[in-house]
Amino acid sequence: MDAVKHIIKKELTRVFSDKKMVISLFILPGVLIMVLYSVMGNLIANLEKDIESHIPTVYIQNAPEDFDDIIDSINYIGEIRYLNSKDSTDIIKDGILKGEIDLLVVFDEGFAKTIRNYSEAGDAIPEIRTFYNPSEEYSLSARGNFKAMVLETYHQYLLTERFGNTEQLQVFHTDRNPEAGIIMDEDKASGKALSMLLPFLINIMLFQGAASLGMDAITGEKERGTIASMLLSPIKRSEIVFGKMVSLAILTSLSAVIYTIAVIIGIQNLAGGEMGQLANISFAPIEIIQLFVLLILLVYFYVSIVVLVATFARSQKEAGTYVTPLYILVMLGSIMTMFSSGGDKSTTLYAIPVYNGAVAIQNILVGELTMTQFGITIGSLAVLASLITACITRAFNNEKVMFNA
Amino acid sequence: MIQINKLTKIYKLTKKQMLEQKTKKDIKRAVDNLSLVARPGEIYGLLGPNGAGKTTALRCIATLLKPTEGSISVNGYDTIRDSDDVRREIGFLTNEIKLDPQFSPKYMFNFFGKLHKVDEETIEERREKLFSYFEIKDFEDKKIDELSTGMKQKASLAVSLVHDPKVIIFDEPTTGLDIVTARSVTDYLRLLKEDGKTVLISTHIMTEAEKLCDKIGIIINGSMVSEGSLGEILRKTNTKDLEDAFFELYKIHNKEEE
Repeated sequence: MDAVKHIIKKELTRVFSDKKMVISLFILPGVLIMVLYSVMGNLIANLEKDIESHIPTVYIQNAPEDFDDIIDSINYIGEIRYLNSKDSTDIIKDGILKGEIDLLVVFDEGFAKTIRNYSEAGDAIPEIRTFYNPSEEYSLSARGNFKAMVLETYHQYLLTERFGNTEQLQVFHTDRNPEAGIIMDEDKASGKALSMLLPFLINIMLFQGAASLGMDAITGEKERGTIASMLLSPIKRSEIVFGKMVSLAILTSLSAVIYTIAVIIGIQNLAGGEMGQLANISFAPIEIIQLFVLLILLVYFYVSIVVLVATFARSQKEAGTYVTPLYILVMLGSIMTMFSSGGDKSTTLYAIPVYNGAVAIQNILVGELTMTQFGITIGSLAVLASLITACITRAFNNEKVMFNA
Repeated sequence: MIQINKLTKIYKLTKKQMLEQKTKKDIKRAVDNLSLVARPGEIYGLLGPNGAGKTTALRCIATLLKPTEGSISVNGYDTIRDSDDVRREIGFLTNEIKLDPQFSPKYMFNFFGKLHKVDEETIEERREKLFSYFEIKDFEDKKIDELSTGMKQKASLAVSLVHDPKVIIFDEPTTGLDIVTARSVTDYLRLLKEDGKTVLISTHIMTEAEKLCDKIGIIINGSMVSEGSLGEILRKTNTKDLEDAFFELYKIHNKEEE
């Protein structure tokens, strides 16, 4: 086992003594992920601010006499222009299409008179039509605000005018205080939001880390002729394989931790701190152990796949072409958990590698992973990874694979 | 001692390799029924043109390749059965096997010393001795990537001797070296021989073989065509120097092959 220790030490030294490698493998991707999400967050915030500060241009046709007073009374901010019934609205609609005008509000002709004349069911009810462009943020927002602020106030005003006491129309209330009615487990709720994203992220980050490091550590060494010098040492091939895999697993775990933290910080910036729920999440001791064992096995599984491919590939370029479809498969297996809730699934599904890892992490986050599901997941990952490791050791003994002989 | 007994190594060629080598055969007999014995305190020189099968034969001894037929033993250990033991006995050097360019010669020397289970004190002692002899000390902490070809070759040479092997197998050890460095390498091989080591080298430099080797084996198209001391080979071929002897043998055996 001494040889394994020396190989692990050498592999880790190789990465950590090279500043460029440390920056390109760990620091730069982490910083880039954070910057990317933060920039996205800032852009979204700026867009929202811009929409909020925009003064909408609103054209109103056939406005009733008292409508102007309503607008003044609620301090609606907007550039309002009134049109007569004879004015054409075609130019205005064209302006809305081009994004130059935000909203056109058209009252039926004789709007106030129709309302006043209403006496019994079946009498005419007038209509207010709004014309806007949902693909233009300004127009969409102008219509929403105008409807909620101006038209709703006007509606209430007319109802009061007609009935005096509008409480008669209320009949009943639903949830006067909506917050008081929510009964939920905070942990589970936080876990649910995270369980959408984290299993996917962890799977992808682990595989990506293993792939970028593994191709250089195995195929790169084969190409450079440096692995042969190790094969000449009086140690077992399995010791070389084990040393390489453990060092890769350490580096992969480290890069996955860095990337995941970067993504979480980035997303918090993106959501303007609304993902603060992360702090709420808490695990039972057994769940922490389950998560730890699961992550170790997932790392071992991904490293074994990458090392297998990297061992058989003759060049790093070739290894890259093999890893890409595997990457897509890992993404597919992980993405499936994003659009399904944890809960009841057939236990056989927990035997499918990649998918089982993602779904088990998801279930741990919502506190629903059973011991059977956990057992099947780690069992299947461990068996498959061990079989792959045996294949790698055989390949290390194969001169055709190692020396292209 | 190295004993090669009727070694044959056959490679299967892919279609691409068949095209590259302009052959219709899907197999290549790289080494054909080769037998030799290299004894302790002796330098054995394997001589032959490029592609004759020298490197393949040496790689088989070093356990990197498995013989298709025949057997090889190194100090009594079989290269297939006891490959770990064989690797403990030998120091192997070839151009295609390189040291990790990101590390320094000193790091690599220590690393391989540890893989060979040499204790730290002995590693230190041997490093001091070998690095002084091959003048590596000035660049022992520099990355191998930054060294010249000659410096790299000297570092590889020192690293291959870290465990003080009883059997030394060097594949064209002076290729690419300047005359001064080449001389220091051949002088060191003589020292190893005097120390009672078994030394097997491959070369295509005739003068080097003439001066250095106690026994010479000439290999053409994978087969041993002549073996003996320099004097014996010159007598057999009725020539005055090794170069003439080689061409005499080459004319006969390369024709046969055609």
